[in-house]
Parts: sequence; C-alpha cells; structure tokens
Amino acid sequence: MNNNYEIVVGLEVHAELSTKTKIFCGCKNEFGAEVNTNVCPVCMGLPGTLPVLNEQVVEYAIKMGHALNCKINGTTKQDRKNYFYPDLPKSYQISQFDIPLCENGYLDVLVGEEVKRIGVTRIHIEEDAGKLIHDDTLGGTLADYNRCGVPLIEIVSEPDIRSADEAKAYLDTIHSILLYLGISDAKMQEGSVRCDVNVSVRPVGSKEFGTRVEMKNVNSFSAAHRAITYEAKRQIKVLEKGGEIQQETRKWDDAKGVNVILRTKEDAQDYRYFPDPDLLTFIVSQEKIDQLKSEIPELPVAKTMRYMSDYGLSRAESELLAINKNTADFFEECVNLKKCEPKSIANWILGDIFKVVNERKCEIKDLAITSKNLVEMISLIENKTISNAAGKTVLEVIIDNDKDPKEIVKEKGLAQVSDTSALLAIVEKVLSKNEKAVADYKAGKTNVIGFLVGQCMKESRGQGNPAMLKDMVIAEIEK
Amino acid sequence: MEIDIKRIAKLAKLSIPDEKVEKFQKEMEGIIQMVENLPNLDTKGALVDPDNTMELRKDEVQPSYPRDEMLKNAPTTAAGCVMIPKVVE
Repeated sequence: MNNNYEIVVGLEVHAELSTKTKIFCGCKNEFGAEVNTNVCPVCMGLPGTLPVLNEQVVEYAIKMGHALNCKINGTTKQDRKNYFYPDLPKSYQISQFDIPLCENGYLDVLVGEEVKRIGVTRIHIEEDAGKLIHDDTLGGTLADYNRCGVPLIEIVSEPDIRSADEAKAYLDTIHSILLYLGISDAKMQEGSVRCDVNVSVRPVGSKEFGTRVEMKNVNSFSAAHRAITYEAKRQIKVLEKGGEIQQETRKWDDAKGVNVILRTKEDAQDYRYFPDPDLLTFIVSQEKIDQLKSEIPELPVAKTMRYMSDYGLSRAESELLAINKNTADFFEECVNLKKCEPKSIANWILGDIFKVVNERKCEIKDLAITSKNLVEMISLIENKTISNAAGKTVLEVIIDNDKDPKEIVKEKGLAQVSDTSALLAIVEKVLSKNEKAVADYKAGKTNVIGFLVGQCMKESRGQGNPAMLKDMVIAEIEK
Repeated sequence: MEIDIKRIAKLAKLSIPDEKVEKFQKEMEGIIQMVENLPNLDTKGALVDPDNTMELRKDEVQPSYPRDEMLKNAPTTAAGCVMIPKVVE
C-alpha cells in the first residue's frame, strides 16, 4: 500500500433479527422453509393490507442501540423507501429515514494492542426483501417471498475506520455482540448478516474526505477485508495517474478478487422517502428503554479487558475466549469452580479443546465436556496426581463422555509415579542404555537432558513425574 | 416563475373563461412558490405525531396463507414461485 495515502472506510451492516415472526405480520421468520410457504397478504404486499409492527423487533433494536452506546429515540416513526425491484412486492421498503430508533453511538474495538473508537451514526429497523432465484433452464426469474418482511437492523458507522484490519475488527465485534445479545443468528453463510462497504482515500494529513465508492455483494468479513484493500489500491492508482475518483457503486467479486462498476452517480436511485401512512408514530417508554439497558450482558471487549487484568491472560488469549459467547461462558463456568488456575483453564480450552472444535467445526457447547470434568482433570495435574501427558489422555475421554476424571485415571492406571525407588529403577535403566548421551552431557552438552527425561517418560508409559525424573537424571549422572 | 394559464388549460383539456385567467394565474403562482420553498423547510421530526400513536404487536406466530392461494394473482408461476421476466444485476 502506498504510504502517502490514508484509507477512510464506513460500513453499513444489515443483521436479520431472530424474532419468531416477521416485522409486520405473524408469518414465521424462518430460514430454509419451502418456497413461498411463510407468506400472507401483508408480507406479499397485496393492496388493502395493513402492517402491524412487532414489539420484539423494537426491543431487539434498542438492545443493540444500548450495546453500541446510542441515544435511543423513544418517539419515532417509519418511512417508505421507494424503489422498483422484483424481490420487493410493494415497490417500497418500510424503513426509517430521519428519526432512526438509535443514533449517535460508538463502539470500542481492539485492533492489535490498541483500542479504537468507531462512531455509530445510526441503527434503524426495516424489512428484508424476498429472494430471486436465477435458473437458466427457465425462461424467467423465480421469486420466493419467504424472506419478505423478515426484520432487519441496519447499523451505519461513521467514516472513522482507517484500515482493512480496523474494518475486520469492527465487523467481528458487531457479530459477536449480536450473538451475546441473542438478537440474531448472525450466520454469514445464510446471509443473516450482510455488509456494504464505503471506501475513499485521501493524502495523509488532509482534512477533506476523498470521493467515496460504495461496494455491494461483500458476503463475509474476510471478503470485506479483501474488498477494502483492493478498492483502496485501485483508487490510489487512479489518483497517482492524475485521474479522479467517480462517486459510484461497484460490485465485489470475491472469487476473482476484483470489483466492477454497477452504477454511476447519475444512475443513483432517488428513494423518495416519506412517512408510511399505514403506520403511526410509536412510543417506547423511558422505563422500557431503561429496562432493556439493564438486560445488556457484559460484552466481548469489556470481557477481554477483564480477563487480562483479573486472570493475567494475554490480550490474544483473552480475545479468543471472549469473542465467542459459548467459549466465554464455558471458560467462566470453569473459573467459577475455583479449583484450578484460570491460566491453565485458558491453555486447555485454547489448545486441545479448540483443536477438536475446529476439526469438528462445532462449538464447545456441542461437546459432551463439562466444566466440572475439565476442572477436575486440570486439578489432578496441578496436584501432581497425573502428568500433563496423562491429562491429554483423560481429555480425550471427557471431551465426548460425562465421566469423572478420577475414575478414568483409576481405570487406565494413569496416576503419576512419584515413588523414588520406582523412578530410580527407570532412570538407571535409561542411563545404561544411552551411554553416548550420558557422555555428551558430561562433555558439556547439557541439552541432552530433555532427550533422557523423554526416554524415562516413555519407559514409565507417561506416568513418571517429569520434574522428579529430571532432577534424578541429573543427580545420577553427576554422582 | 412565468405561468401561462392558457397553455396549461389547453394541455389539461380545460376551458377557462378569460375573466378567470388572472385569478387562476395568481393561485397557481402561490402554489409554485410554496413548492419552491419546501426544500428549505426543516421537516425533521415534523411528521411525528405523539398524540396519535399505534400499539405494537406481540411476537406470536399466526398461520400463513396456503401457497396456491397466494400465487393465484400471479400471471405465471413455476416451482412454487412467482415467475417474472429475467432479472440480472
């Protein structure tokens, strides 16, 4: 990237809310249903029907507003955004224009070791459109209206983002918060979270913003990172050649790693917003707004900070634990049993357990492992009943079975041997078999000690106490 | 803005007696002036009416309509969907 330029990014995130019903009618809000089965005259926009706003949509949106430190507009309304597209049967989308439910907030995100504050312009509620199915074998396009009227919140950031990394951190944090609040499934692969990216560049030190380009079709957060990097480079190249950036909308093609022009400023839509005459002003009481605020749990960035200060974990460890609500819940359950060191719990979760979670592409809650069993296993290591290696063997069992680690240790004979005479026999045997290593050690190559202790562990079938073995090996050689 | 009432009347296929031209001319100028001023008004919040509000709905599932019923008005259908002329974006 050319260092003479600064990247300026603003993001619009759309998230489908996980309500039981749609925003304006009682049809099910459900992904993957048989086409056109969750529809009624209201969501299909038939003339003469009246939308009735779902209370849960308003409450979920206000929760997000609180989580992003917004001012909540308790008295607001809804507006029509007019445009023609066949996935929108009414030819207008019911949205919010001049008085969004939430505005003027911010989100603190962690970018590397830094905390970066990104302004949140507004969060408003609106309805999703249907889905078009393109099939070359048919003479036309198919329209499935099940998604019509699925509730959305649109979260608009200020142009405060200065790099693709910051954008990624912002998006990951928003995603995590949606799950913490339990207001969205936030499944990227099902399109329940989508984002539009606005990018401009300007010479470093400049106060004016450059002309911005909007990018559509950014379908994942890692795609957002690639799309921003590509677009910034493209704009810098144009400027370096003495060209001008045109205000336009471009479409990101993630497979090819390029974007193409979709429409120019001249073709920009005029949405002709006006208040929806079918929906009146609605009021959310201050009492309700305050109650929703009291229901906001501790959020991922605050958790990350607390793990660092309270448990002495690194920033990276804390963030990995805190960003996923399931992981954080499990970690805290373990810590709250107060039987072993939080640092050991973090190591086991982020190491061996994450390995399984990643292999199986699942969440910790999908495994049979319980906090009680994990903590029991770790405390057996901490009180030297079993070795670390034996701990791994126990974990293999308890990850899929709710079984007492003490039982497993007994059944498999994993208890660590700390009996000096038993260990001494092993040490003597290993030393007599490895005369060269012993000679090397005496000649000053003291790092062969690792090899010798390893041989002793092997001889003890993993049950020897490694610290004792090490001391004994050294004592024997130097005798 | 110059307003030619006779031309407008002709376009709208209206017959306006000569003695009323001046009256309509004045009224029409008033309308145009009002519309010209609209962009200068601060309308933010002006259309909220806290004295006339609506109740919200509980998030409870109601039965949807049978698909066949919902697709009855569509000129063409295929595979349970409304079929529309090919759209490419």
